[in-house]
Amino acid sequence: MAEPLTDTAAQPGAGATGGKTSVPSRPWLFAGVRLLGLLARRSLLLAVLLATLFVAVELLPGDAAMATSERGESAADIAERRALLGLDRPVTERFGDWMTGLPTGDLGTSARGEPVADLLSRPFPNTLLLGGLALLVTLLASLALGGWAALRPGGMTDRAVSGGATAVLALPEFVVGVALVLVFAQWLEWLPAVTLADSGGAPASWQMLVLPVVALSIPQIGWNTRIVRAALADEAEAPHVETAVLDGLPSHRVLLHHVLPGALPAIAAGLATSTGMLLGGAVVVETIFNYPGLGAVLAGAVTDRDSPVVAGVVAVTGAVITGVLLLADLVRAWASGGRL
Amino acid sequence: MELNRRQLLWAGGGIGAAALLAACGSGVDTSSPDAAKNSSAKPKAGGTLRIGALGRANAIIRDPHGSQANESDYLILSLVYDTLTIPGAKPNTLPRLASSWTSSDDLKTWRFTLAKGATFHDGTPVTAEDVVFSLRRLRGTPSGASRLPGIKAGNIKAEGTDTVVLVSDYANAELPLLMRLTTFVVKKGTADKEIEKAPGTGPFKLEWFRGGNARLVRNDEWYGGKVLLDAIEVKIFESPQALSNALLAGQIDVASNVGAVAARTAEKRKDVQVVRRPNDMAMPIVMRTAAGSPFADPKVREALRLAVDREAMVRQVLSGYGSVANDILGTGDPGYAEDVPQRARDLAKAKSLLKEAGFELSKTYELMTTEDIPGLAEMATLFATQVREADIKIKVVKQESGTFWDKTWLKGDLYTTYWGTNDSVVFFASKVLVSESGTNETGWKNPEFDAAYRTAMATKDPAARAKLLREVQQIQHDASGYLLWGMADGIDLAAATVRGLPRLPGYGRVQFERAWLNR
Repeated sequence: MAEPLTDTAAQPGAGATGGKTSVPSRPWLFAGVRLLGLLARRSLLLAVLLATLFVAVELLPGDAAMATSERGESAADIAERRALLGLDRPVTERFGDWMTGLPTGDLGTSARGEPVADLLSRPFPNTLLLGGLALLVTLLASLALGGWAALRPGGMTDRAVSGGATAVLALPEFVVGVALVLVFAQWLEWLPAVTLADSGGAPASWQMLVLPVVALSIPQIGWNTRIVRAALADEAEAPHVETAVLDGLPSHRVLLHHVLPGALPAIAAGLATSTGMLLGGAVVVETIFNYPGLGAVLAGAVTDRDSPVVAGVVAVTGAVITGVLLLADLVRAWASGGRL
Repeated sequence: MELNRRQLLWAGGGIGAAALLAACGSGVDTSSPDAAKNSSAKPKAGGTLRIGALGRANAIIRDPHGSQANESDYLILSLVYDTLTIPGAKPNTLPRLASSWTSSDDLKTWRFTLAKGATFHDGTPVTAEDVVFSLRRLRGTPSGASRLPGIKAGNIKAEGTDTVVLVSDYANAELPLLMRLTTFVVKKGTADKEIEKAPGTGPFKLEWFRGGNARLVRNDEWYGGKVLLDAIEVKIFESPQALSNALLAGQIDVASNVGAVAARTAEKRKDVQVVRRPNDMAMPIVMRTAAGSPFADPKVREALRLAVDREAMVRQVLSGYGSVANDILGTGDPGYAEDVPQRARDLAKAKSLLKEAGFELSKTYELMTTEDIPGLAEMATLFATQVREADIKIKVVKQESGTFWDKTWLKGDLYTTYWGTNDSVVFFASKVLVSESGTNETGWKNPEFDAAYRTAMATKDPAARAKLLREVQQIQHDASGYLLWGMADGIDLAAATVRGLPRLPGYGRVQFERAWLNR
C-alpha cells in the first residue's frame, strides 16, 4: 500500500469551492440523484477491480487444482479436479458465472469445496471489529493531535506533532506490530502477544484487541493528523474565523465552533481514504497477531490460486469501503448544505 | 496421507531464517538438556493442555479422509479418530484400533483384528464393518489410489465383527505401515454431511470446533488406556512467528512443529523446553538419472555426493537442528542401514570422477528450487558454493511454487525436493525409487534395485526381509539420483510443566494422548 507523502486530501473543503451560483430548487433531490450516480460509479469500479483480480490470479503460475493437490496425486487426478472446479473453462466465463451469483449473495465455492460466503462469514465480523476500532482510534487521536497542533500554528507542539505524524505515517504496519509485541508482550508482559479465538470465533478477551488495533492505527493516525492539521489551517484563514478571533473568543472555542465545522469535509474524506488503508493493513496485522480475520483467508487464497475466494474477500471489503466513502460524501454534503 | 506440499511447508517453517542466524552465530549445542525433564516425576491427572499448531483459515478440513493441509486439523483429527496402527520407535508400527494382524504366505492378504472394547464416542462398539466403510470411503477420495496403494475398494472386506481383510494387488510386507497413515475410522454409513460431527474412537472427544480452533475433552472410555489430561485445546496459527510469540508469552503450552528459528529464540529461556524430533524431514537434491541428463552417468552423481560438505549444510541450513545423512531415504526407520559407511567430502576423488566421466566443467548447470519451505533455496545456494570447489559451476534458479511443481518436479535435471513422511525405507522405495513409481523424482530405472525391493516385499520372514532391505539401501546409496546430505529435526516448543510429549517424526508428532501437566 503506497501512501502519498503529500497532503493531497487536504485540499480546501467543499465550503471553499466556488459553485454557489446555481443551487437547484430542490437541493436534496438533486443530491440524491448525484448520490445514486456516485453509487453506480463506485459499483462499476468495484466490478472492474474484481475482473482485474480474476485475470491477475489467472496470470499467476499454477492453478487452484495444482495448488491444492496432494503430492503424489497423478496428473489424471489433477486434471479431473481441474474439470470439477471448472478451471478448464475460459476465465471470462468463470468470472461471468461468479458475478451473476453476486447479487443473490452467492460468492461461489472455494477450491477446497467450501461455499465462499461460509468461509468469509466467520472472520469477516472480526476484521470489521478490528478495522472499526482502529478507525475510531484514528479519528479520535488525529482530531486531538491535529487540533492540539493547530492551536498554536508554528509553535513547539505544532512542529513536534507534525514531525511525529510525518515520521509514523510512513511506518509499515509490520514494523509497528513487531515492535509492539516485543515491548508490550515480551518485555513488559502487559498485554497478550497474540489473539486467540474463543468458542464463538471472536477474540477471547478485549486485551487481545489492544495491540492489533494500535498497530493498525498508528500509521493512519500519522496520515490523518496531517490532514486535520492542514484542514484546520486552511479554515482558520476564513473571514468568519478571523471575526471570531477578533471578537476575542478563547482559542479552543474558535477551534471547535468556527474552524472545525468548515474543516469537516476534508477530514471525512481523509478518514474515508484511511478505511481502505486500514483494511489493507489488517491483512498484515492479522498475520502478526494471529488475529482470526479476513487477512489469513486472503493470504491463503492467493497461495491456493483460489479466484472465487480472493474476489469474495475483495467484494466484501470493497462494499465496506464503498459504504464508508458514501458516508464521507454525505458528511460533505451535509457540511456544505446539500451540495455534492 | 503422504504429506502434501502445504503440510510440508508448515513442517519446515523457519528453517531458512535459521540459516541466517546460524551464519552469524557460533556452533550449536546439539545436546538436549530438556529431554530429561520429560521423563521425571510421577504422572499427574488433570488440566487442560493448550496446543498451538500451524494452519491456514481457508484450508480447514474437517473430513478425516480429506487431505489435511493444516497441521492444526491433522492434530485435531488424530486426537478424535483412531487409525488401525500408529508409529512407534521400535518397531516402527504399533497396534492401535487393530490389536494384531497376520498375513497370508504370499503377503497379499492381510487380516487386522480390532482391539477389544473399542467403542465410538457415542458408546457403540467398533465393528469390522465400520472399518471397511471408512477404508472404502478413503479409497474413494480423489487421492485414494495413492493413499491406499495396491488395495482396491472391493478388496477391503469384513470377516465376522472384529476382523478386516485387505487384499493387496501385490505382495506387500509393509501393509500395516500404510494403515497408520490414512485409516481414520468413522461409523459405517456416516453421510458426508455429518462427517464433521461424526463420533470417533480416539482418546479425546470433540467439544467444539470453530474456524480451526477446537476444544477436545478426555474420552474416559478409551480402550487404549488411561488419558491424564482433562482436555486439549487446539489453536490455529498462521505464522510460526506468532505461534512462537504465543508460547513465549504463556498463552499456549505447546507450539507444535514451530521450527528452528523459534528454537533459537527459546533456547535462552529456562521456562521453555525445546523438543527435537530427529529425522523429521528430508531435503534431498535430485539428480536426474535418465539418459540425456548431464547427471545420467553414475560417476557424475557420485562426484556431486562427494563434493558436498554435509556438516556445513546441517550447521548452516538447519541451524544445527538436524543430522548428517548418507544418501539413503528413510533414516527414521528402525531397519535403516546404519552400517553402510558414511560418505564424506572428498574433493580430489570428486574431481577425478568428473574427469573420468568426461563431465563438461566449462558449462554452468542450473539447480531449480522453490521457496516453499524456508531454507530450501538457501540450501541450494550453499550447495552451489560448495561444489564450486570441485570445479562444478551451478546457478541456483528460484521458481515460484506453482511453476516448480508443474514444470520442474519429476522432470528437471537438477532440483531440490523435500519429504516430511520420513517413515521408512519401504515408503521411499515404493514412492520415489522403484522404476514404475508415479513420482519417480530422479527418473531412476534400476532393475537390480527393483528386483531387490520386490523380493524384500515378498519375503515373510522378518530377519530375511531385513537383510534384503539392507541390500535395497546399499543399491540406493551407491547408485540412486538422490543426494541426501542431512535430515532436519522437527521442533516443538513447550512450557516447562508439560510432560509426556511425542518424540517421533511424521504422524508420531501428533500423538498427544500420553501428555500430562506437572503443575
